[in-house]
Amino acid sequence: MNVKKLAELSILTGIALIIFVVELQIPNPFPIPGIKLGLANIITVYALYHYRAKEVMTMVFIRIFLASVLGGNMMAFIYSFFGSVFCLTGMLLLKRFIDEKHLWIASVFGAVLHNMGQITAAIFIMGTGVIVYLPFLLVSGCIAGAFTGWIAQIAVHRIKGNDAKQK
Amino acid sequence: MKRGILTVILFCFIVSCAACADDNGNTLDEATSEFFAMNTYISVTVYGKDADNTVKSARDRITELERLWSVTDENSEIYAVNHSDGKMITVSEDTAELIAFALRMAERTNGALEPTIYPVLRAWGFTTGENRVPQESEIKELLNMVGYDKVRQNGNEIQILNNMMLDLGAVGKGYAGDEIAELLKENGITSALIDLGGNIQLLGTKPDGSNWRIGLKDPEGAGNVGILSVSDCAIVTSGNYERYFTASDGTVYGHIIDPVTGYPVNNDLLSVTVIAKEGKICDALSTSLFVMGVQKAEAHWRQYQDFDMILITKSGEIHITEGIKDNFSLDVNHGNMKVGVIEV
Amino acid sequence: MKNKVLIGICIAIFLIGVIGSALVLFAPHGTKVNIVQDGAVLYTFDLSVTEDQTLEIEYNGRTNIVQIENGKIRVVEADCPDKTCIRMGWLETGSLPIVCLPNHLSIEFADEREDLDAVIK
Ligand SMILES: [Zn+2]
Repeated sequence: MNVKKLAELSILTGIALIIFVVELQIPNPFPIPGIKLGLANIITVYALYHYRAKEVMTMVFIRIFLASVLGGNMMAFIYSFFGSVFCLTGMLLLKRFIDEKHLWIASVFGAVLHNMGQITAAIFIMGTGVIVYLPFLLVSGCIAGAFTGWIAQIAVHRIKGNDAKQK
Repeated sequence: MKRGILTVILFCFIVSCAACADDNGNTLDEATSEFFAMNTYISVTVYGKDADNTVKSARDRITELERLWSVTDENSEIYAVNHSDGKMITVSEDTAELIAFALRMAERTNGALEPTIYPVLRAWGFTTGENRVPQESEIKELLNMVGYDKVRQNGNEIQILNNMMLDLGAVGKGYAGDEIAELLKENGITSALIDLGGNIQLLGTKPDGSNWRIGLKDPEGAGNVGILSVSDCAIVTSGNYERYFTASDGTVYGHIIDPVTGYPVNNDLLSVTVIAKEGKICDALSTSLFVMGVQKAEAHWRQYQDFDMILITKSGEIHITEGIKDNFSLDVNHGNMKVGVIEV
Repeated sequence: MKNKVLIGICIAIFLIGVIGSALVLFAPHGTKVNIVQDGAVLYTFDLSVTEDQTLEIEYNGRTNIVQIENGKIRVVEADCPDKTCIRMGWLETGSLPIVCLPNHLSIEFADEREDLDAVIK
């Protein structure tokens, strides 16, 4: 990994963390655990199409660890970890079928898989009763995933535009 | 676009089919038989193929065992042993096995389980219901006829001293439960609940795969202390709250006799519940642990650890062994009871 | 083409989610409630006959205070960072439990069919 890449990944991780902290300040209208916009996902989706799998994974795991520390909720780490493992595995596979112009589709799958990972962790920790949350998480995953994916798509478009101008 | 919509419909269809498949699975027969045997009310509920016939053979088997072990039935093998005038008696395989087990458990519990306590029990009137408080000298006299170490067993041959009496009541129901569970299993039954007057024997899980939910009766008041959620095991509770009488001076005497003193047990325990694979272990241990009291009972568990138990003390505490604590939930109306976990 | 199939699957997941949510929200429920911690049932009781009271449930030094009032149940105080459990309010909608993920706590309606199978005496 060269220095330039390392710097880029660090900046991306930093941005993701800032987005995470900003999102923490937005009151969540849904009193259901696990439901949130997950804006930091924008960075993951973007990174997925511009860096190697190993690099993205390192970035994501560092981010969720730091985010748990910043949020003061270490339990969240376990849920995010399971969610991220599911999400990354799925997206890395889907990346082959989905081109960058349809980032939002990949993002929807990513978000839904993330929620499924969280539910899996919750079932291990809390018992099977929590499975009733799954439908709510599916709905919120689809909406949040499409939204964050759409923003990532715009971002990619802009960045490409800038690159083209610079050249 | 048409293709896309088609895919959606197909996908929904597959998912809904997968969801229904559960309900249309092959249904199991259910059969229940309720009857009176071994001095208690017995109920056997069986799920599986040919449940009706299996339940009938279970009932036959219990009646057969009862005929062998009744203390009062003149045709029983135990009656023959108890009226042998000290002669050697040959008994059936079932009886020999049960006596051997009772003697083994008596040894394991240092005589807290005493299969020859019957004469003392009779003196207190617990065998007939005509309760009385015997004289101290009478109890002393009777205790001379008590002692599991005086029973001679050589295979199917049993010999006890003249005037001694064998009573397998404390292990018979548990043994019968094990026999029934075995019989059901041989007949291909994978799910059954056998209730021998409050001694519970569970075969497998409920037909839907979930644990059986068994209430633990409050020894002092109405309702349940809590609920056990378990499968494939036996559960037996002993306590002096089941059968007791109040003497003219107001003293309460329970039906479990301390074999050392010859008096009904009066210690720090209200009840002992034992959970183990085998009903006969549960039956034997629940009685003997009750005789031992809290400290010795916990020491016994630490030494053997081949069972789980729930002790309810007179001071309103529940002591539960670590292996079963996650299967027990306290009833909220008994929230004032302190629950402590017994660890190794 | 490939994208259309994938979009179709997205829509299907979304619809399943919506239908599932509706089923959960409108599911009938009884009055029996379990308080579950780490998958083990701590308390079980019938709200219709339980007196008003507050229960303190501890997990690793943190507590949730659960209130039962007029046959309803909710979390009134909690030491958790997110307070989602408190914001969920009274337990009322179908089979959706009140959960406190940080404290491993879940308060849920028990299956009515799950009555006792037997009583040990
Ligand atoms: Zn909480």
